[in-house]
Amino acid sequence: MPEAAYHLGPELVRAVNRMDFFRLFKALAVNQQCRYFVLSEVSGEEEGINLQHPHALHNLPESWLKGTNGKSLGADPVIAEARRSTAPFPMDLARHPSVLAHASGAKTAIVVPLHTLAAKRYCLIMFGEASLPKHEAMAVLALDAALIFQRYYAVILSLDSVSGLNEREIQIVRWTSEGKTSAEIAIILGLSEHTVNSYIAAILRKLHVVNRAQMVASALRSGLIA
Amino acid sequence: MNSDRRGQPLKILLVDDDPAEHVLLRRTLEKVEGPAIELDYVGDIASAVASVKAGGIDIVFLDNRLVPNNDFRETAPQLREAGYIGPIGIISSDISGKYFQQFPEFGVDFRIGKDEIDRTAISFIISEYTRNQLSDNCAEDFL
Repeated sequence: MPEAAYHLGPELVRAVNRMDFFRLFKALAVNQQCRYFVLSEVSGEEEGINLQHPHALHNLPESWLKGTNGKSLGADPVIAEARRSTAPFPMDLARHPSVLAHASGAKTAIVVPLHTLAAKRYCLIMFGEASLPKHEAMAVLALDAALIFQRYYAVILSLDSVSGLNEREIQIVRWTSEGKTSAEIAIILGLSEHTVNSYIAAILRKLHVVNRAQMVASALRSGLIA
Repeated sequence: MNSDRRGQPLKILLVDDDPAEHVLLRRTLEKVEGPAIELDYVGDIASAVASVKAGGIDIVFLDNRLVPNNDFRETAPQLREAGYIGPIGIISSDISGKYFQQFPEFGVDFRIGKDEIDRTAISFIISEYTRNQLSDNCAEDFL
């Protein structure tokens, strides 16, 4: 596995996509002897967290999620406590069994509440076998998590609120206006279809539109493309 | 992911000049939950180009340095020029080089260190790069 503090080295400033942040948060968790982690927005709704949300990151096996048997994740003691807390805390899973982490055999959950500049609440939850971390260790861990999350916000989450399109996004709108599909645009630009669709999803959010036709119409009206 | 191949195993192509990596990745893939996975292996970029041209590859794991090529900046574009539009991930024992940050410019989707590859990382990659990011009303027949 990567060496200690790997997640705070040059890789932190070089992170450019969700996969890179998956790697960083995973490295942070592994450094705490935690094999599994979840980063998710915390909502006020009953569910508490939504692991299917496009901004969520986690490495929980699919079978665990099925193992909750459709029960609301909000009822899980770890999630419930994460919704109530604004300070980081460890949790003894022997005393508070987690449905979510039951299959892992994890003894401890470590929860770090996080927030964005746009006042959205997130939390990082790590499940592991180590004993409950001490106060000082929790403080360092919370700082590390906040540093990675700040970068995640700057690179990924803040794109939702940025106005204006970058050069690549304008290229993609222009080709869409020519009637090209995502696959065709991918071939033209030498990218994957996944990357093209990621750009389109970002453009839809930025322009506050819901489909390709509206995207092109909005770009034309605002003069982004001629 | 090729939508016309739904129900068939997900096909991963590993391009690495070290056959031992094929064995290691195959073992890791055996532990991965989720859709059935088929692993193809080739040892050079010319064979990889032939494989993607033949079709059916859902994800490519491309070793950064394939002798006699330089690095991914030389090899990944060859797969794109061959018309491959699936995800390409660069794998390497050392991804600390500054040039790795340029990977999106060369048609690469992600990078990962060989020591970071385990079943949870593979599951994330599959889930991330095969999910539909656009809602139904953004389907192309709405154009």
